[in-house]
Amino acid sequence: MYEQTFSRTNPGCIVFLLDRSDSMKQPWQSSGGTLAEGAARAVNKILLDLCVKSAKEVGGRARHYFDVGVFGYGACPVAGGEGVEPALGGQPIVPIPEVFDHPLRVEAEQSVDAVAGSKLPVWIEPVFGYRTPMCQAIATAGEHVYGWAASHPDSFPPIVINITDGMVTDSPYDGAGLAEWAARLTSIETHHGQALLFNIFLSPTLAPEALFPVTAAGLPEPGPELFAISSTLPASMVANARGARVEIADGARGFVFNAGLATLVWFLEIGTRVADVRDR
Amino acid sequence: MILARSACFWLEKLGSAASEWEDAAAFHDGDPAAGTTPRYAVVDGATEAYDAIRWVAHLVGSFVADTGPDLTPDALRAWFEQAQRLWVAGAPTRFATVIEEHKFHTEGSFATFLGCRLTGLGGPGARWEAAALGDTVLFHVRAGRLLTHFPPIGVDDFGLSPDGIGTRPEALGPMLRALELSSGEVHPGDVLYIATDALAQWLLLEAGRDEASLWAALAGLDHDAVFAAIVADQRAAGRMRNDDVTLLRVRLATTEPGALVVPL
Repeated sequence: MYEQTFSRTNPGCIVFLLDRSDSMKQPWQSSGGTLAEGAARAVNKILLDLCVKSAKEVGGRARHYFDVGVFGYGACPVAGGEGVEPALGGQPIVPIPEVFDHPLRVEAEQSVDAVAGSKLPVWIEPVFGYRTPMCQAIATAGEHVYGWAASHPDSFPPIVINITDGMVTDSPYDGAGLAEWAARLTSIETHHGQALLFNIFLSPTLAPEALFPVTAAGLPEPGPELFAISSTLPASMVANARGARVEIADGARGFVFNAGLATLVWFLEIGTRVADVRDR
Repeated sequence: MILARSACFWLEKLGSAASEWEDAAAFHDGDPAAGTTPRYAVVDGATEAYDAIRWVAHLVGSFVADTGPDLTPDALRAWFEQAQRLWVAGAPTRFATVIEEHKFHTEGSFATFLGCRLTGLGGPGARWEAAALGDTVLFHVRAGRLLTHFPPIGVDDFGLSPDGIGTRPEALGPMLRALELSSGEVHPGDVLYIATDALAQWLLLEAGRDEASLWAALAGLDHDAVFAAIVADQRAAGRMRNDDVTLLRVRLATTEPGALVVPL
């Protein structure tokens, strides 16, 4: 299980659930800016990384190694009001070549080690407002993930990464609570395993980071609940992380609390890296 | 006098086009009359690397050239640096997208490497010398038995090594720290094989199972189609990972082989 690699024959599916509730306007103490800005930066960074992995030839388009989705929940900047809204051009699941070709804009790179004058694409804008309909987000993503898995039975199972700063406000939703919706999502499977749900719990306060923990001990609310619905990291991801000299205990969950931007990006890299892309 | 006689077999991943094969091999059996040394190189371009085909072609070609490096840390360092300079000099004048430009500057290209040369073939101290970065592996076989493989990687360790030759100058330090050198004495009748990771892993597994049959079959390989059939069968059986595969065989003999005629 969980040994399949990403390829054009069997692309991967990576879906982000992005909390756009009002509380995401709070400052991100560890990395500056607001939580919404930090989360958007991290998702943009991972989308860039997926595009970079898929860019092979001089002058060529991206290869179709991935299908990606970003679902914002809370404020809906296009439709208005509160709810769940696809944030990649209004499309729920988008092939990476389309992402590659259609960023919202290109802006100067901000990292300290950026090549002078270099520019990078942006796909996701920071947004905040309203409450936190996390159950609806998992339910909505699940519908699309289910369809994707059914049409890609030989692919690595879908990876869903939820980025939030707090309490779900719509549990129960449609008769089921958060844990039930998470269980439904992770019951979706391909021949290579069940869908994975990872959770990133952002905090506006300065507190120790918890990265890939094996227990919920010491986590503030709603940390234990988010930890409980987080999938155990597959051995292939653990091996990759250890190969990159990251210490991860056996049984570690795909969960991080109070991450700064660097840790958040690192978490996302581990959580979206199955193995080297084995192109076909 | 020992004569080296090499042959190379390769096959792209199942589902890829032949033009997308991103391993590379180069071989020069030397010329005793001219005093040139046999040199061999096999590299495996990383699938996620940028323009891997240009990088691997340059690496193997420059290694086996008469001006190729000695197998010492200092000589290889100079060769790595030269390869990196030439990579930058050959950059596109304009990138099609900011993502492509970003990848060129931040990641560039990358390949595992096994370079080998044979020395002293005219006397009693004939040897192979090799340098390695990553999991492309040299196998030294004598009388149907595996004497050694280099680097001494375990069956379960393939695919985890981060080592290889990268295009970014920042990679030079880690490359030199990870560089492995080795050598071994060769006798007439010995066979050296250099294989990229998926094939090397399979060779180790098969050698543990029935090495006499394995090495006999590979020593007798005489056509690309036979090699392709072996690889296809092992992939289909789930015993070999679906990846580009390359096998460079160097037979060490004291006489010229007879002419070989095969149907095409």
